[in-house]
Order: sequence, then C-alpha cells, then structure tokens
Amino acid sequence: MGRGMNNDGAKKPTAPAKPSLSALTAAALALPGLAPAQVETDLLYSRYQEADLPGERSSDGVDHPRYEIDTYLFRLAAPLGDQAVVANLTYETLSGASPWYVEPRQAGVDDTPVQVMSGASIRENRADVQLTWALPLGGIDWGVSLGYSTEDDYRATSGGIEFEYRPLGSAHSLSGGVGYSYDKIDPVRGARSLDVIEAADKDSLNAFLGVSWVLDARTVLQTAVSYGLHDGFLSDPYKRVYVVQGPTLIADSRPEERQQFTASARLRRYLAGVGAALHADYRYYRDDWQIEAHTVELSWHQALGEHWRVVPGLRWYSQSQAEFYAPYFQTPRSDGLASSDYRLSPYGALTARLDLRRALPGDWEIGIGGEWYEASADYAVSSVAVESPGLVEYLIFNFRLGTRF
Amino acid sequence: MAVLRVHRFKALGGPCTLYAYAGDDAALRAGEAEARRIEAKYSRYRDDSIVSRINAAAGMAAVEVDEETAALLDYAATAHAQSGGLFDITSGVLRRVWNFKTERVPTQAEIDALLPLIGWDQVEWQRPHIRLPRAGMQIDFGGFGKEYAADRIAALLRAAGVRHGLVDLAGDICVLGPHQDGSAWQVGVRHPRAAGAIATVPLRHGAIASSGDYERGFVHDGRRYSHILDPRSGWPVQGLAAVSVLADQCLIAGTAATCAMLLGDEQGPAWLAALGLPHLVVDAQMRVRGSVQSAP
Repeated sequence: MGRGMNNDGAKKPTAPAKPSLSALTAAALALPGLAPAQVETDLLYSRYQEADLPGERSSDGVDHPRYEIDTYLFRLAAPLGDQAVVANLTYETLSGASPWYVEPRQAGVDDTPVQVMSGASIRENRADVQLTWALPLGGIDWGVSLGYSTEDDYRATSGGIEFEYRPLGSAHSLSGGVGYSYDKIDPVRGARSLDVIEAADKDSLNAFLGVSWVLDARTVLQTAVSYGLHDGFLSDPYKRVYVVQGPTLIADSRPEERQQFTASARLRRYLAGVGAALHADYRYYRDDWQIEAHTVELSWHQALGEHWRVVPGLRWYSQSQAEFYAPYFQTPRSDGLASSDYRLSPYGALTARLDLRRALPGDWEIGIGGEWYEASADYAVSSVAVESPGLVEYLIFNFRLGTRF
Repeated sequence: MAVLRVHRFKALGGPCTLYAYAGDDAALRAGEAEARRIEAKYSRYRDDSIVSRINAAAGMAAVEVDEETAALLDYAATAHAQSGGLFDITSGVLRRVWNFKTERVPTQAEIDALLPLIGWDQVEWQRPHIRLPRAGMQIDFGGFGKEYAADRIAALLRAAGVRHGLVDLAGDICVLGPHQDGSAWQVGVRHPRAAGAIATVPLRHGAIASSGDYERGFVHDGRRYSHILDPRSGWPVQGLAAVSVLADQCLIAGTAATCAMLLGDEQGPAWLAALGLPHLVVDAQMRVRGSVQSAP
C-alpha cells in the first residue's frame, strides 16, 4: 500500500455506466410513507373457451360446442388519505351450450353414460360491481365490501367485512373475515318441462381466519381455515337427471343446505440467487355432501431483468363425488335427491398456466397469459369407476393493461 | 385561515425550517416530532438506537430490525449497487482517523488499517437480519437519514392536508407545492466558498439536495480536505466543490449528489445525466454548470 499523502494516485472509482433511477426510486418508495398515494387502474380481458364435447361422449355421437365466456374487468383503486376505495366492474358475455343430462348410450344394451347437451345455444350477459372501502382503525386494517351482480335470470347481493392485524415487531399476522350473499334465481329459459321452478333463492355465509408466519428472511407461510354455509335452493334449475326405471327425466335436486370447510397452507420462498420466488400451495376441502377435495399448486415467479416477469404454474386437483351424484340412476333415490352434474362427480384435473408481464415507462404495465385445464377421471386420487361424460377441458387467454397516476 | 407558518428547530445535526400554508401549527409540530423520532432511532450517538445495537454486535450476532430500518437498509443496498460501491453506509468508520474538528490529516497507515472494515458487500443482510461480519465494522445512516426525514416530514404534512409548503432540513429540501399564489419557492444553492447563494433554483414541487466540500471540511497546508470520504481509498474526494440534484424524493437527490461528489469532475456530471436527474455542479474554480434552470 504505497499511497502518498493524497489520493491523486489512488484507484479512481468507477460507477456503473448505466445507473438505474427506477431501481433507486423503487427502493425509496418501499420506505414507509414515501410512496405518494396513487390511483391505480387495471383493465383485464379474458377469453374462456371450452373444448367441444367429443362425439364418443355425446348422446347423438357428434361433437358439440360448449361454453365461451368473454370477460372484461375494470379495476380502480383510489387512496383517500390513509383510507382507500377499490371498485371492480365486471362485464361478461356467456354463450354456447351446457350439459343437460346424462343417459345410457342404449338402455339395457350399452350402459356407457353419454352426455345430452342443452338444445339451443344460449347467450347471456352478466354485470357485476364490487366496492371495497379499506381503512385502518385501532391498529387494524379493515375492509368493508359490497357487491351486486345481475344476469338475465339471476341476481346476487353481497356484503362482507375483513381485517388484517400485524402486531408491531411480530413475525406473524392475523387476518379474518365474514361475508354474506343473497342470491335470487328467476329461470327464464330452459322451461322445457312443467317442473321448472318459478323462482328460488339462497343465503350464503362465509367466514375465514388466517395466520401468516414469517419463517425466516425469505420464507413466509400462510395458513387459513374457512367455513361456508349455504341455505336455500342449491340445485341447478337447467339440469335434468335420467332415471332408467321411473319418470325418465327428473329435476336436478340437491339438499337445501350445504356446509363447506377448507384448510389451506401457502408457502412463499424467495430465492435471491436466481431472482425468483417459489409459491407452493395446498388446500383441503370437505363438505357435507361428502365431497372431499385436494388442490396442490406450484408456481415460479421469475424476474427477468428490470422489466419482465414470467410466471409458469401447475395445479393438480382431485375430488370425490357428492353422495347423491350418479351419471344416471336406475331408480329414484328414496331421499328424492339426484344430480348428474359433472362438477359433483369424482374426477381430477390438471391446470398449466403461463403469465408474462412487462413494466413500461410511465408506470404502465402490460401482461398476457394463458391457461389450459383438463378434467379427467385419470387424474383423481382414487380410482373412478365411471367417468362423467360431461367433464370439461378449456383454454383461457387473458390480456391485462394497468397504470397508476 | 391558511397563512404561511414558519417553524424552526434544530435536529439531525442542523437547523431545520418547515414552511406551510396552514390553519394552525399542529402539522408543523408533528413534522418536528418526526425529525426527532428519526434522529433518536438512527443516531449513532445514542446507545439505544438501532444503529448502535447493530454496530455493538459487529463480529458477533445478527440483529433483527423492524420494517422501516429494513426498508432503509434495502435502499442503502440499492444505492450501493447503482453507484458501483461508492455509496457505502459502512464508510463512517473512517471518522476514527478523520477528525474534522481537530483538522488533523491521518497517516496512510492509519487509513489502511481501517479499509478492511469498509464494504457493504461484506455485510450479511438478509431481511430482517443484519450482521456485520468483522468486529469494529459499523454502519451509519448519516449519509441519507436527513434526506429520508425530509421526505417523511413532507409526506406527513401532505397527509395533514398541506398543499403549499416546503421542508428544509439544513439544505435538504422537499417542496410540497408552490406558494399559495402559485409562485415557485426560490431555493438558494449555497456558495461553497462565500456566504450566500451561488445560484437560485425556482421549485414548485419535488426535492433538492446538495453535497459540497464546504460542510465540515478543513484546509491544511493549502489543501482542502472535504468531509466526503471515498470508501475505496479512505481519502476525501477532490474535484467538485458542490453538487445539487433535483429529484422527486429528497432521498434520491441526496444519494445522487453524494455519489456525484465521489465520482468527481469528469464522471460525476455524466453519471447524473445517465440517471436522468437535473443537477447543478460547482467545480473547483467556482464555475456553475448543469441542467437546472437557475438564476445567479
């Protein structure tokens, strides 16, 4: 170290040729209170497209197109001092045919269940508005929400309250909430038989409690339990059930009460070396219709440079059947319940998705994504004797544009 | 009725003045309280501050820090990376040999003995745990604490409804909005060698921070020793007399001004231009140049 009494001969420091103001700004705005309150808006378009019902699973032996849904979502979050208001407006266009009932291919000869689709292609619109008011009160963050949703034949009004509590200096936080929804169904179509209901309604109550644990500097575990209680008309007014020895077609008929329970664990692990985060989630579901389900989801959140983020994900799902489900029935059940809805059948499903996001100058962000889903008896956790012919396969494409100002 | 209220106090090592068009003094008093909170929390002179606790554990255990401190450490890490290691909160250890009050120039051997204790890249920082790996290492928030306080006080005043005002923490300035009549605040940039301003910058919003060889520096044998020490050599910077930078956050303006001083006459202005921040530099010959519209 033969340096003299001044630093003229010392090595001149070299700074990066391209310092990043956005990196400095992001770090500065992460400081408590420094981020200026900004209005955030997002516009999301998504297209949901079900694959055709293949001829080998349909009653008339030909392929049938199924549902398509176009969804437009507009989200606005506006800060009001230390409070905030969030509005979500959704508009959906649904069209296509849906499964109506399941019958044996040829009663007495070939018992293979095949799907009968609803005749005419329907087209309907749904509009939904959700408003949330977020406010801190007594050291706890509160959220109060109200929602209203309307379709041709359906209206739902909902409300809820949530909280999140993070004790100062603690490695865990507590959250919880309750929600209530009142749904009214007023069938306007599908009145092919006299037993179609005129109108019906249901009440739903949901509650959840969660704890988030900071395990170490890079790992967070979120655990939660939830309970749901639905009371009222829970059947599908547009579906029928085929009975071999009986009146042949009867209404889809489910219990007037359903209690649901879930327990979930979500692990978030940040991997600094590769600039990525691993999300691993598990959810257990059980209801008093005897459906038990497991969901495992893995996703990888990878930052690429300063502007790109790519998120591949894989989800596996498996459920057992509702006790009153069958593709079709030989004789009516003594309790009068019956459903051949594929969603109550035993099956498993795989979902693969990929999301890509890019930050643009001026606080804009653009994103595209795709998701492929396939349900099959082969993916179920236990072997399924008879697979529902109505199981669905779909693709979702979405596009997102967001900004803040 | 909103009149211009002026609140003066001394904190964070210098004179502070808060200006606000407000109905009463409540917000200004809360601003002073915030400056004192940050001073107490991050002062290296107080044994109970988080900085003292981290430094006391150097060479030993990791210390767990709260969310605010973690965000400040994250910021320091980012500034270190973006400045190629020039912005370094571990360089304060050089004060052991550089005493700007007694105006003594240390020997190279004294400086060389301290250099191994400097380097943010040695620090084990894994949110929320920080560990200084060598005994004798220390961090301090002197290089950005006052700027952070200016931003915090501005945010506090803004949340209290102040739309026309200015926060001045000994030259680190945040503007909340223009005067009530819409006119800009005339912010003076201090002359490095004489009393008064070398330039005046009109500001309606944003922040301005300055760094110069005039603060706590001294002249020994005809040579000027600035208090801004290069973390790599351990010697005071040379080249520029002062740098002022404009940014949306005082924190960033201050970091950029410090880094430009460290980079010197040639590289400093180019680095600021690459960051895209308006600036004003005063060179050793007291020539003012830069991209800011200013009046002499």
